[in-house]
Amino acid sequence: MAVTVHPAPDRAVFWFGCNLVRHGEVIRASARLLEAVGVAAEPAGGPANCCGATQEASARITEGMGRRTVEGFNARLAGAEHGQVITWCPSCHMNMQDVMAPATPTNFETAHITEVLHARQDRLRTLLVRPVPARVLLHRHLGFQPRVPVNSLVADLLRLIPGLTLVDDPLAVPGHMCSSLSGVPGALAAAQRATLDAVAAGGADTLATIFHSCHRESVALERGCPRLRVANWIHLLAESAGWPAEDGYKAIRNAEDPRAALGEAGMAAAGEAVFERLMEPELRKAPVV
Amino acid sequence: MTGLAARITAEGARLAAACTACGACVTACPMTPFAPGVDAAEPRVAAGGMRALLLGEGGVAAEAVAWIAACTRSAQCNAACPEALDVALMMRFAGMRARGATGEAPRYATRPDPGWSSRVKAFARVTLTEEEQAAWL
Ligand code: SF4
Repeated sequence: MAVTVHPAPDRAVFWFGCNLVRHGEVIRASARLLEAVGVAAEPAGGPANCCGATQEASARITEGMGRRTVEGFNARLAGAEHGQVITWCPSCHMNMQDVMAPATPTNFETAHITEVLHARQDRLRTLLVRPVPARVLLHRHLGFQPRVPVNSLVADLLRLIPGLTLVDDPLAVPGHMCSSLSGVPGALAAAQRATLDAVAAGGADTLATIFHSCHRESVALERGCPRLRVANWIHLLAESAGWPAEDGYKAIRNAEDPRAALGEAGMAAAGEAVFERLMEPELRKAPVV
Repeated sequence: MTGLAARITAEGARLAAACTACGACVTACPMTPFAPGVDAAEPRVAAGGMRALLLGEGGVAAEAVAWIAACTRSAQCNAACPEALDVALMMRFAGMRARGATGEAPRYATRPDPGWSSRVKAFARVTLTEEEQAAWL
């Protein structure tokens, strides 16, 4: 599939969506990678910048949330010659194109972060100097690929890392990311079993996730496979660049006691009641496989 | 009806009017094993039901509702469609209509997550500095 090469923006927003906030180091490293290839993009996300996809049972609410977000981006990029909103989340990206932009005029172009980095990979190459000795299976989905060929773009970017070998396996599981599968009984477990089979067949020691919800679901697979490392593609690029990007979510998700792993400061920031009601069930969830 | 609800209804019906209910999209879909009854029925049953739903017709087959509910946006339907329709968008609009987004009675239950926003904000407080929260959220 042809890769879309977007013209360089003079101003840009890195729209990281809502759920990537679980992975602060991925947001920081992504913004730093964009800056390193010459695209300074102001990060924006969280519920105040929601695409509205979480509220699809009401067209009125979905539309209102989408409009608020588009208007916010229009304001941030007002006066830009070529404003760009650089997406992370495939759901946000598709929502922007299918629902948000047709309803609310935009003064920006939408591009996916993989397209932006891939188009400037020569500048990344000089940055990725530290070897990351790993045999990597890339966790691929079918769904976003026809829109933005993320599976091949990320594979190309990972191939820039010295010492890293990609396992050649055709597996691409259904859905556009794992959160879509988790809502259909049996679907996520089947995808994860197929993924672990491909890891074993290819002799991979690392499973590289592309999207946040896949990472969230997959890090717990390490519990049953002590020799497997699950890392996001951004973690791997950051490691090769020598940047600190420790996987904070994995540390609490796979801890015996997430409360202890979070520590006093983390618990104080989260809030005791919110932690118990909203975070702990997710952090203690067994791997779906 | 205005705005997005009107667009879902009008654009969905426009696309559905060009659909022949051949079922190629159903055959190409990797999610049918997870949609009760779909693999056991002729592919045109689920496809015809999706078309009927978008056209606002009655008699939407249970297999169609199961197929729509199991859609995870794998997008294999688009390449399979001999009419070159954006079937993934049709399925998305069908899913929104089936969940009651345009005011019709929901055809299947969704699992609301009332704590979603609070959960996202709580994780943000843990993983982002106060300056980052103030600037980015
Ligand atoms: S493949 Fe196209 S024409 Fe055939 S049923 Fe599906 S949407 Fe209709």
